[in-house]
Amino acid sequence: MEDRKTDDLFDVAVIGGGVVGCAVLRELSRYRLRPVLLEKCFDLGEGVSKGNSGVIHAGFNVRTGSLKARANIAGLKAIYDLAAGLHVPYRKTGKLVVAPDEEGRRHLEELKAQGDRNGTPGLEIVNAEAIRKFEPAVRGKWALYSPWTGIISPYEFTIALAESARRNGAEVRLGRNVTAAESKPDRFVLSTSSGPVSARWVINCAGLWADEVAGMAGSADFRVYPYKGEYLILDKAAGDILRMPIYPVPPRDESSLGIHLTPTMEGPVLLGPSGEYVDDKNDARSTRPVMDMLKAEAFRMVPALGRFPVIHAYTGLRPKIDGPGETGGPADFVVAESDRRPRWVNFGGIESPGLTAAPALAEMVVEIIGTKEALSSKDGFEPGLPDLPRFARLDDGARAARAAADPDWGEMVCRCEHVTRAEVRTAVRNPFGANSLDAIKRRTRCGMGRCQGGFCTPRIVEILQAEGLKPEDITKRGGLSRLVFGRIKP
Amino acid sequence: MTDRLTCLLCPIGCELEVEAGGGDVRVRGHQCDKGIDFASEEVLRPKRNLTTSVPLKGTVDRMVSVRLSDRVPREMIFPILAEITTLRPSAPVRRGDVLIADVCGTGVDVIATRTVASSG
Amino acid sequence: MTVFGMGKHGNVGVKTQGFATPLERLRDVDVAVIGGGPAGLAAALGASRAGAEVVILERGKRLGGILNQCIHDGFGLALYKESISGPEYAERLMDDVGREGIRVETGAMVLDLSADKILRVNSRSGYSLVRAKSVVLAMGCRERTRDMIEIPGDRPAGVWTAGTAQNLVNLQNLRLGNEIVILGSGDIGLIMARRLTFEGMKVKGVFEILPWVGGLERNVRQCLSDFSIPLELTTTVVDICGRDRLSSVVVSRVDEALKPLAGTEREIPCDTLLLSVGLIPENELSKRAGVELSPATGGAVVDEMFMTSVPGVFSCGNVLQIHDVADWASFEGFVAGKNAALHARGEIPTRGTIVRITPGAGVRYALPQIVRRSAAGVDLHFRVTAPRRNVWIEARGSASGTIFFRRKFPRLLPSELQKIKLTTAIDEDLEVAAHD
Repeated sequence: MEDRKTDDLFDVAVIGGGVVGCAVLRELSRYRLRPVLLEKCFDLGEGVSKGNSGVIHAGFNVRTGSLKARANIAGLKAIYDLAAGLHVPYRKTGKLVVAPDEEGRRHLEELKAQGDRNGTPGLEIVNAEAIRKFEPAVRGKWALYSPWTGIISPYEFTIALAESARRNGAEVRLGRNVTAAESKPDRFVLSTSSGPVSARWVINCAGLWADEVAGMAGSADFRVYPYKGEYLILDKAAGDILRMPIYPVPPRDESSLGIHLTPTMEGPVLLGPSGEYVDDKNDARSTRPVMDMLKAEAFRMVPALGRFPVIHAYTGLRPKIDGPGETGGPADFVVAESDRRPRWVNFGGIESPGLTAAPALAEMVVEIIGTKEALSSKDGFEPGLPDLPRFARLDDGARAARAAADPDWGEMVCRCEHVTRAEVRTAVRNPFGANSLDAIKRRTRCGMGRCQGGFCTPRIVEILQAEGLKPEDITKRGGLSRLVFGRIKP
Repeated sequence: MTDRLTCLLCPIGCELEVEAGGGDVRVRGHQCDKGIDFASEEVLRPKRNLTTSVPLKGTVDRMVSVRLSDRVPREMIFPILAEITTLRPSAPVRRGDVLIADVCGTGVDVIATRTVASSG
Repeated sequence: MTVFGMGKHGNVGVKTQGFATPLERLRDVDVAVIGGGPAGLAAALGASRAGAEVVILERGKRLGGILNQCIHDGFGLALYKESISGPEYAERLMDDVGREGIRVETGAMVLDLSADKILRVNSRSGYSLVRAKSVVLAMGCRERTRDMIEIPGDRPAGVWTAGTAQNLVNLQNLRLGNEIVILGSGDIGLIMARRLTFEGMKVKGVFEILPWVGGLERNVRQCLSDFSIPLELTTTVVDICGRDRLSSVVVSRVDEALKPLAGTEREIPCDTLLLSVGLIPENELSKRAGVELSPATGGAVVDEMFMTSVPGVFSCGNVLQIHDVADWASFEGFVAGKNAALHARGEIPTRGTIVRITPGAGVRYALPQIVRRSAAGVDLHFRVTAPRRNVWIEARGSASGTIFFRRKFPRLLPSELQKIKLTTAIDEDLEVAAHD
């Protein structure tokens, strides 16, 4: 598919549709600008943004004075209201960092001091009794309690940011892999898999590929080292015994936050992540030894979780810019206009707490552009999104009203998560044309439950055909991931 | 020559030992007399039913399932499947309707195993 | 409720005025049967013939449940004394349901069941509440998934549970792939091996982690041996490869603890992997109602009336215990339905003194788990833990040592659900065990 007006000049091209790219796009859509987002995958949030814990961080794990700390705290102040306005489900759960002994307590004190310096609100060291009161299933002697930590669905947040941007005039193009960048006096010409795109500014939010994209413009100031984290997901019944994220005392080298337990909005509990440098930026494999290790580590902190079955496994890659064996602690976020290429802005190393920090990082782009040219706000910027109610969360009266008004609200497509045909229909008709099974899953929860799509997949395959897709064009995640090879008997 | 096989006539699945030689078949392990007939047939000339499904005429996804009215020699399975591949029954179809009579000259029919209304 | 960040705008765009609220649409019924498959249809018939007013709530567009996609033959041998296909079996029961004038709601999914037997039902004709005097649970089962057995590797398209694949092939005319590997030797997997062979797909092998076959022996012969499809026991899939679409799986032999044996791995190129690795009774609604479940069966703990721990809630078919033969699910349904009708009329006495039936050596489970003291003629279901030859099955009084049942079986398989009759009145706890 060729883009219609390939010689169009955009004011800003954002490369990468993760949470940072989408937040940047939305921030730009406040101004009299013409921004476009180019994403190589066939949906938003397909990279780093879907493979994490979905925790809203309160800012005590990051070094005082760093951009990570500033952006984390600023993002924390913004993200709850932002999520509420966009109707993205979240919950301010609080969080416990649990220590088994006195040695661990000293480390908790240091974390608390760092958090206090950074501006994290309400941190408290609590004893075993308080731990039991917060979370009866958790084993620990001391804990750092952070009341402002929360949970959010990272991919729903990412998609909502993009929808908000689009509502305010920004363009989003999926399946556009940027392969080269040509620097002209007044613009950059980006070669993509569907023709060139020209823009006066380029914001490189390419996550794992940010070094390669930066290299296209001759501004390779950092290298991305993929750091793999495997996760397991426990059945939603596990959510009944865990209300807030439970973390261990983090490792001294600050390479990660350790293997933790994170409840999700609908109940399933995440175990993970592991941490391991890998060579391949596409390596999303789950491995047997890590699966076993995750369970062992997690069940040590919360033994009662051991009785719940695993319903799914996934893997995320963190885009570290400090390589294996490097000393001096974790690298800070990089957000900077290239020295060699004016009007080209690179984001580098946006790992945790990037999800929380995204709204604040997005504002930095506006500041950078604002130093070079006058930006004027657009009239009628619409900050919110309409609510798309979930059948599963409606009460009897609302369910009856909807089913009476539209029979598609009466047709159940997913038995585990109670999703109706009306919700699937809305998801399929999303404004970006993302119509893979995974795209529908992220928008509706179809396939995220106990049966992992056994019930809903044949139904969604039927609905997608009713919406005009040929069977052979139905995919798991776009591209070559086709589900079936056409009809048996044509 | 001794052949071990499981009787398929009912879910009990008796394990039969069959000795065949000189036109004679000797069976051990059967819980009922049907086992003897089964073993002889299974060793000398096995028979099978077959089931599949085909789309209704003019559609690609409204399926009607079919089977044979009786079992046929096992080697007839693929010739009959080839016959059925191009079968496109017209709705309405009733369970038991003969869709292909005397398929491949076997003396058995291909019959519908479900009822499909004219529309819907 | 917790903060969802959506609260006050929950119902934007829809006015609730002018529509019947669910409570106005509360309907009363003697017996509500949840599920219209082989067990539920039979339960409805059993209840209706016993004089109850019955409604069947079926989530599929058509009655019959999983039978609709089970187009293979082998059904009806016990109930109709002939071998027919799944859809025919369903239609015969449906014909009877029609003759009985039983109310049927299709496309109607029960979303909630309370202990006082109020059901929340959603369908294209509306969202409503049903209040039943008795409920028959006949929801069937779901399939174990890749994630439940924790197969590592990539997450490509082309990995299916066998039943989902069966739906796509038999009901939607869709080609799954060209080269198929099947993990698990359950009946659906064996039947799908033959089915895909019929439709021109190459089945490269069926692999089973256990040292014995999960499905019926007749299916091994008719579905695999007939077509020279290899079957390898004590072998499992240890890796799944392929970024977008499946490109290969790695199989490995396993040791006695079912752990993969290093050095025995073998990569098999394929574009499709079917999993036939077990069925799980689907008891989400039962749990909502507070029904006690058995860890051994995954289904409800029932008495000889098929009544669960919640008075007036009965269970039958695959939601109670996984059956190898549909006819037996129906037989349970007939009895459970009849008893549900009796309960609705207040004609089932309270349990009073009970005795318990527990599995002993070599027996995985025995069902019913609870029997009214002095009940006679109880049908007892059991499964053995491993294949056995020339084995004695004994039901022995735990207190007195009295033998209530003793018979020698030439061969018993874990895949086969066995049924025996305890003719004498049971007046003490029993243990059912297998002895050489």
